[in-house]
Amino acid sequence: MKNELDISGGTTRMESAFGSGDGDDEATASVAQKAEVKASIYEQTYRPWRGSLGPRWVRNYAIFRHHVYGIFSSKGHRHYHPLVRLTILIVFIFSISPVAMLFLASLGGQGGFGEILSRMWGINRYNLWGQVLGFFPRNLCMWPLLTALVVGGMISDDRRNGTSAIYFSRPVNRTDYTAMKYLSSAVVLGFVIVFSYIVYYTSAIVLNGEGWAFLIDTFPIFMGGLIAGILLVITYTSIGLALSSISQSRFFAAVAFLAVIYGTKMVAFLIESTFDSSILYLLSPYDGLAHIGQWLVGIESNYDHPLSLSIVSILLINFLSLLLLTSRVSSLEVTRE
Amino acid sequence: MASETSEGLLITAKSLKKMYGPHLALDDINLEIPPGAIGILGPNGAGKSTFFKCLLGLIKTTSGEGSVLGHDIRTEGDLIRSKIGYMPEYDSLDPGLTAIDQVRYSGELLGMNPDSATQRAHEVLQYVGLKDQRYRKIETFSTGMKQAAKLACALIHDPDILICDEPTNGLDQRAREFMLQTLKKTVSEGGRSVLMSSHVMDDVERVCDRIVMIHKGKIVVHRSIDEMVNQVEKEIEISVWGGASKMEQELTSIGLSVRRMGRNMRVTKVDEGTYTNILSSAAKAKVQVRKMTDYEPDLEDIFLLIMDKLGEDVKETDDLITPRYTGEGS
Repeated sequence: MKNELDISGGTTRMESAFGSGDGDDEATASVAQKAEVKASIYEQTYRPWRGSLGPRWVRNYAIFRHHVYGIFSSKGHRHYHPLVRLTILIVFIFSISPVAMLFLASLGGQGGFGEILSRMWGINRYNLWGQVLGFFPRNLCMWPLLTALVVGGMISDDRRNGTSAIYFSRPVNRTDYTAMKYLSSAVVLGFVIVFSYIVYYTSAIVLNGEGWAFLIDTFPIFMGGLIAGILLVITYTSIGLALSSISQSRFFAAVAFLAVIYGTKMVAFLIESTFDSSILYLLSPYDGLAHIGQWLVGIESNYDHPLSLSIVSILLINFLSLLLLTSRVSSLEVTRE
Repeated sequence: MASETSEGLLITAKSLKKMYGPHLALDDINLEIPPGAIGILGPNGAGKSTFFKCLLGLIKTTSGEGSVLGHDIRTEGDLIRSKIGYMPEYDSLDPGLTAIDQVRYSGELLGMNPDSATQRAHEVLQYVGLKDQRYRKIETFSTGMKQAAKLACALIHDPDILICDEPTNGLDQRAREFMLQTLKKTVSEGGRSVLMSSHVMDDVERVCDRIVMIHKGKIVVHRSIDEMVNQVEKEIEISVWGGASKMEQELTSIGLSVRRMGRNMRVTKVDEGTYTNILSSAAKAKVQVRKMTDYEPDLEDIFLLIMDKLGEDVKETDDLITPRYTGEGS
């Protein structure tokens, strides 16, 4: 310690220890007496721990489990409000409701009511596209609401509660933290959006007793819808998490997400109605995904602008969202200053 | 889990420097910290948090090198953090979780499996005095209970070093006593090392045997508290009644150095004869000496003394902005 400060011969300050007065008046003092501890039944003993710590994937899986299991049981995992869990359940039930219609159709047999139901809810390009990308009721009511509820507090809660310190003072790096939060959100959204789509397709095969010919005809369309669904989950998760990372309020993140989805759609719709141009739909994440989805399942496009622009738009939205997300996560502190 | 470097040092730093843009946060830190309880002191903005972040391997140092438990702070941050328990100053708990779940989860984030993390969470919550509150949600906790829960989170994996940032912040007297006793016990019985930062000198003095003082990015003091106490001039503290001014004159007239505030005085102790000289002076001045004790300076006295000295020697913050970035003098 070559440059260490030398305090030899220094004197202490007096004002830290003494009271006022000139010294000639009579002094009185009252002394507080400390309460005597008679006995204690609590014995504090430090116990060492001889276990070993697991590798990186164990830590990452803990983050994933904490967030995903919380949907099913808040006991011991991330707390989701009962109303949030109820809403997610309702959205899931709605998303698999076509299965019930297919079941009814299968009971109705050939012709009559069964055939009407089968024509309305059966497997075809439009229904497969609509299952994941239809605007009403799914993208108007269900998917954005689901995303807002799941993603809203994912990172903003850590910022508000300071729980980021719990993560980053441990061997969890920011990449793992972000990736696990992303994966947790995407898995919950994927479970409702993609899983319900798969259930819809497979139940149609099972309930109608479809054969290989049906599979060969429809499987490529199904795959197109599946890819579109995965793209939707990725894009919504990216936007939602980015908004969650810039705020301390889960409400802000949720409302901002809904505003982005509906606001861009609404503005683009107004511009299209007034100027007869669909170009502003490039700003709308939903419409970009819908455009790509229409191409993937092979149905006629609703948009005038080239598909390539929609692809670029979706890539750009994802890139910007992830950029915002990573930059905001890197600002989460362990020691607040 | 206890491990140390071959030289028995917990933390070493050689010419460690950290800059945030043009601002020098840590300046040429050279440090060798042995096991035990160490107090990290310094005014706000001194560089304590930056120092902790460097130790945890969370930020890249600009130059120099350092190690914690033998692991390089530049490349082995993950390993270091798995052996350190960090108790942050501010709230870092999920209010929606119960204490047992919060502590268990913080163990799982270290890589503990859920079963052993749960078992250990029960142990540490008992250790920090939250045994009966472990199934309560954090949102219902008082500040003292939250501090204890944070300590439990830091202790879950039995770390070699416990870093506590203002552990008694916002605690009432009883909770503060318990926290300090717990930290002390962690060192004395658990054999762990504690790095504690606090603005309350009394807390540091009660837990720590050494201090590291950081001021404007520099280590200005790294010594044992006893050693520093011995360096300060020995004084005899007296309290007189009826004629303090006269007494002061008498003492000064026989060549003793006196500092007076009201009826209280401190006389520099020259040798054992100083006591006799004080009593003789009192007899001459016809005053009563109601109290005469050797004054034992505490850590707060030393801190104030150091800050006084630094006030003369250390430059202002603006002087720490390097010319390399400002372009001045080039």
